[in-house]
Formats: sequence, C-alpha cells, structure tokens
Amino acid sequence: MVIEFHLDGRSGVAPYLQLIHQVRQALRLGLLREGDQLPKVKDVVAGLAINPNTVLKAYRELEYEGLVAARPGIGTFVTGTLGGSSLAAHGPLRRDLQRWLAKARRAGLDDESIEALFINTFRSAAEEDIA
Amino acid sequence: MIWLTWRQFRAQAVTAAAALAVFAVLLAVTGPHLASLYAASGITGCHGGSCGQLASNFLSQVGTGLYPAVYLLGIAGIVLAPAVIGIFWGAPLIAREFEAGTFRLAWTQSITRTRWLAVKLALTGLAAMAITEALSLIQAWWAAPIGQAARLATDSNFPLGMSPFSLLAFDAHGITPLGYAAFAFTLGVTAGVLIRRTVPAMAITLAIFAAVQVAMPLSIRPHLFPPDHTTAALSSFSSLPTQIRPNGGFAFGVDYLPSQPGAWILSGGAVNAAGQPVSTSPAACRSEAITGSPAWTPCLTSHGIRIAVSYQPTSRYWALQLTETAIYVALALVLASYCFWRLSRRPS
Amino acid sequence: MTAVLETRGLGKRYRRLWALSDCTLSIPAGHVVGLVGPNGAGKTTLLNLAAGLLLPTTGTAEVLGGPPPANPAQLARLGFLAQDAPVYAGLSVADHLRLGADLNPRWDEELARHRIERLDLDLGQKAGKLSGGQRAQLALTLAIAKRPELLLLDEPVASLDPLARREFLQDLMEAVAEQDLSVVLSSHLIADLERVCDYLIVLVGSRVRVAGPVEELLATHHLLSGPRRDPATLPAGQQVISASHTDVQTTLLVRTSDPVLDPAWTVSEVGLEDLVLAYMSQAAGPGRRNHHLGVQK
Repeated sequence: MVIEFHLDGRSGVAPYLQLIHQVRQALRLGLLREGDQLPKVKDVVAGLAINPNTVLKAYRELEYEGLVAARPGIGTFVTGTLGGSSLAAHGPLRRDLQRWLAKARRAGLDDESIEALFINTFRSAAEEDIA
Repeated sequence: MIWLTWRQFRAQAVTAAAALAVFAVLLAVTGPHLASLYAASGITGCHGGSCGQLASNFLSQVGTGLYPAVYLLGIAGIVLAPAVIGIFWGAPLIAREFEAGTFRLAWTQSITRTRWLAVKLALTGLAAMAITEALSLIQAWWAAPIGQAARLATDSNFPLGMSPFSLLAFDAHGITPLGYAAFAFTLGVTAGVLIRRTVPAMAITLAIFAAVQVAMPLSIRPHLFPPDHTTAALSSFSSLPTQIRPNGGFAFGVDYLPSQPGAWILSGGAVNAAGQPVSTSPAACRSEAITGSPAWTPCLTSHGIRIAVSYQPTSRYWALQLTETAIYVALALVLASYCFWRLSRRPS
Repeated sequence: MTAVLETRGLGKRYRRLWALSDCTLSIPAGHVVGLVGPNGAGKTTLLNLAAGLLLPTTGTAEVLGGPPPANPAQLARLGFLAQDAPVYAGLSVADHLRLGADLNPRWDEELARHRIERLDLDLGQKAGKLSGGQRAQLALTLAIAKRPELLLLDEPVASLDPLARREFLQDLMEAVAEQDLSVVLSSHLIADLERVCDYLIVLVGSRVRVAGPVEELLATHHLLSGPRRDPATLPAGQQVISASHTDVQTTLLVRTSDPVLDPAWTVSEVGLEDLVLAYMSQAAGPGRRNHHLGVQK
C-alpha cells in the first residue's frame, strides 16, 4: 500500500520535515511495512505541487536514519520499522481509545476540550516518566 | 516547417484556388464558342491585305455581349492579383506573428529564424507567383483568338484590339505577372517585418505597390530599350485623331503605325520634310474650307509633312517582358534579403 | 555543477529606459528558480534575453554553457513559455502537437499525447477557443515534450484561476522530477512560487537585489526586534535590508552569515514573502512608508 502525503502550508514546519514526519507516523501505525515502496518522487510532486528536491531531501534523511533505502531506477523502499513489537498492541489500544472517546462525548466534552485534556494528561505523564 | 507554413497558409490557398476555379469554369464555358467563331472567321490561312479586314470583322463580331466582359474581367483579375496577394498573403505573413506574440513560440522551437523565414517566404512566394501566372496563362489561352486578330487588325479604335504592349495587356500577359506577384508579396512581407502590425502593413503595401505599378509603364518601361524611329505618309493612316487649334495650329494623336501592326507607339507627331516637328499648318492649308476637310491631309502631304513615330516593334516584346520581370524579381530579392537581415540581426 | 544560466553585467535599454541593468547571475542546474519582482522590474526582459529573443545592450549571457540559442542544436535544449502563452489561434490542439513534432528533433510524441489526454483537451479544438488555463497547459506541453534541459517560463500562472494554477504547477513539477529539468519561472507574486522554488532571484527596478538557494536565504535572513535603535549602529557583517521604527521599538530585517549575539534583539525567522517584500521596499527607497528615526531622539 502506498501512503499519500499532505502538506500544511501554515504550520511553519518545513515541507521536507512534514514529509519525514508523515512517513515515520505511517511506520509507527503499521500503515507502512518493511518492503513497501514509498511514493515515487514524481507522483508526490504531481500531487502536492512542490519541488522534487524537497521530496529527495526527505527521502535522503529517512535513508540516513536507516528507515528506507533507495534502489536506483526502481524506487525507495522501507527497510526499517518504528514501534516494532508495539504494533501488536495497537488493536486493543485503539479500541480502548475509542471507548474512552465515546465516554468523553457522553460527558459533554467538545473536540477542543478532549484534545486539551488528552495533551495535558499526556504531558504530565511524560514529565512523571522523566522525573 | 513546410507543414506548418502550409497549415498557416491553408485558408488563403483555398480561397485563391476557389477563385481560380470559378474563373476557370467561366472561361471553359465561353472559350470553345469563341474559338469556333475564330475558326469560322477565315483569319487562319488568310494572306496579306485581306487579313486586316477579316481580323477587324472578327473583332467587331466578338466585341459585344459576354466576351468583352469576360476578357476585361480576366485582365482585371490578373492585374489586381499581385496587389491582393501583397496585401493578404504578404503583409500578414510576419506581422501577424508579431501582433499575436506567436513569434515567441516559433523562434523557440528547434529551428533557426533564417530557416523559418526562408520556408515561409519561399513556399508562399512561389504559390503567389504560380497562381498569378496560372491566372494569366488560362486567360491568355482563352483570349488567344482575340490576341491574334488584334495583331492583324487595321482598325485600332476597338476595345478589344489591344496591342500586346498596351497598358493592361502588357501587365496581364507574358511573364510580367510573375514579377509583379513576387515583388508585391515581398513588399508586403517587408512592410510586416518593419511595422509589425498587420493592418498598417497592408495599407503601406497597397500604397507603395500601386505607386510602382503606375510609375513603371509611364516612366520606366518606355526607357528600357532605345526605341525605333520611322516616318510614314499621312495617307497611310486610315484614322488619325486630330486636334485643330486656332491660328492654324494642329496636333495629331498617333496611336498605331500602319506598317507595324501591334507596335508600341511611344510618341508620334507631324514633322516637315526636314524632320522637324510641325504644329502649325502651312499657310496654303490654313483656310477654313480646307482645314479639317478631306482635302486637308493631301494639302499637308504636298508640303512635305509626314508622321514621325518612335516605337517599339513587336519583336521587342519578349525583350521588354524579360527585362521588366527581371527588375521586379530583383526588387523582390532585395526586399527578401533585407527581411532576413532585419530578423536575424535585430530580434527585438 | 554547471550553471544553466550565467550572466555578467547583462543590460538591456530601450531608448532612454534601462529595462535591465547590471545583471550578474550564476544559476546552477537542477533547481526550480523563482524570478520575483513587481511588474516592469525586468523579468520578461531577462527571460527573453536568455531565450535569445532579444539582444543585450551591454554584458553577456550564457545559457547551458553557450550563448543564447541561435542554432537548432542549442534551441532544442531550451524550452520557453512566453507571457500569456501565445498559441496559434487558428490551429487545433493536434496541429500544435504536429508543430512540435515537426520542428523539434527530440520531440516526445508519447509524452505529449499522454499529457493532452490527461488534461482532457479536445485534439480538434482550435487553440483560440481554449480557456486561459488550457492554453497555458498546451503551451507547457509543447515546451516539455520537446525534452529541453532548461525551461524558461514568463509569468505562466499570472492570469490563471487558483485551480488552473495548482494544476499547472503540479504538471510542471512532475515534468521536473521525471526529466531532471532545470526551470526558471517568473511571477510578481511570491505566493505562486513558494511551494515550488528552491532558488530565488529578486528583481526590482531593473536590478537583481538578491539571489541564492531558498534554504540559504532563509537561514541568513533574520527579523530582529528590540528597543529603538539606529540601524547604522549594527556590526559590519549585518546588512540591513529593511527597517521600521515606532517611538520605542525598532524592527529590522537583516542579512548575515554570522549568528546574532546581541541580547538586546529578539531574533526570529523570516518567511519568503516577507523577505521578498523587504527587498522590494529597500529598492523603493527610504521615502516610502518607513517610519523615520525622526529629527531627534
């Protein structure tokens, strides 16, 4: 399966970083697996109307991180994984999350409140982990 | 580039071909009858003096009805064709590309400007010459009987009895149409290259071409070759337009030479026995009773007055045709060279 | 990497007016170059000079290693799309493809047909009846299918609606990726070019104000804001591009390769649009809309 990129022009994050981020995200979620081919550069730029060098830079960076490998003349393929074994836990975790979301909605929280609650809890938990 | 030139030229070519076709049909319909009239006139196979009269009879026979109209239509078409070509084929050729900005498309293909212009000029120019000459040839084919009769006819006061040198006939027949077409076309192209706007280029082309076409027969053609001179007796002219002025003054209009049928008369008038021009009647011929009467010309003759004529004989016809055509073709080549220079050296 | 376009002191004068002056550039291959500037700045002149459609008044231009194309071999390596995408109004789309095939030895017929199909253009349609966006796409097809090494485009999207503009740039980028094409495209709006350019030239008032890779320009231009201060007091390595002042505060856009160490300044990054605007206002001169330091402190 081939992922599709999108760009947020207003996020202030450089386009190539956004692409890298989306590949990593896809790897974590198991949407991209080892052996899968990343979209061809020409297809990415044809979809997004961005400079091919931007895509090349992102792919090069991912290759440097050991996540993908370029095969000249054929394409760029996923060689590494992120998240690995944790992928198996995704299914149940996703279901738990869906249940929690349903609860939050029943309690009357709107989207912004849900997001704020989650991020706040996530951050404090992260701090506790460090400490 | 050949295909592109043709494709851009297609509409104009179709129009021209259609016009030519219509004209050809008109000639094809009327031609055979004209030819049969000629065959019946007895001119072919006539001898000596009788020819003149037979020819005049034939000319009066065809001088009414459809034939003069078709004849003059043909002549008019041939004479106007170069101007039309210059305006509608020549002027827009390059000007249109500048106006529409398409020269920026054409000049950034993998073809040099020189080749681009060369193919456009050559193909369209050759087409211009071909169609004009074709028009001329088919009209000449149709009018052959009339032309032959005109060369023999003694009677010059005849609408169709034009000498091959007469103004329109010389322009419309032979090879001069080729020269005019080449010149008018390249004139139009040059105007377009210089002015870069189609409509003004068309106007300038028309103005200049018309001026040249008027100047050539009036001022230049008569001087291309030195004329022949001769004198002839007053009595040899069957008709001599005469202007009578007060105090015995007179002037003759000499528009043909009996001994040289079809010759191009450049000038003619009365001279005395010593060869000097005469514009006053001798005293003896001045009386009111004699002047203008049938006895007048014998009176003048008896005083040694003859008609002196300078003329180009019909044998000079092709020499004049070739020279004039060469002049126009040379002009066309000069203009074309200028266009090449202009476009390749100063592309802004 | 060889330069695709190199100019030295290039200038073009029409009668009294210099449309382009003292233009010295060295554009490397493999980039999509944005040529930005207000109308009348000289962008069209520069592109026409590079394409060999104009002769310079002063200076030289080298395109793909040689003078601006004059022979068929060089012309084949350069593609040009003039402003307003001129096409032959009386010729059909198919006729234009035939034109391209006829006049270009490296013409890629399959690529051309494929593009026309994807664009959903009617082959029999007269080019004069196409919409602005379709005409631009037809002209782009002609330029791309010729398989050039360098493509010059003069304000290709200026008169296109946003959708047509996006589609045009998508197709252009695809061609760049596929054919390894170098591109120079001009616009008076940086917003058009931001996504696609990785090299920028700012042309204002017939002169080049700044030129370089976008990444480098963004890294070396900073917005400094802090207490009110005379820009002349800045260290030598920091070049002030634009300055604006209130009674108590000064905001400067500076260009520098060194880090800004003065703690009085708050340093922030500059977006491409602000960068271009700063150079445009610098060119406009001090009289224009800047808040002066004033007569006294």
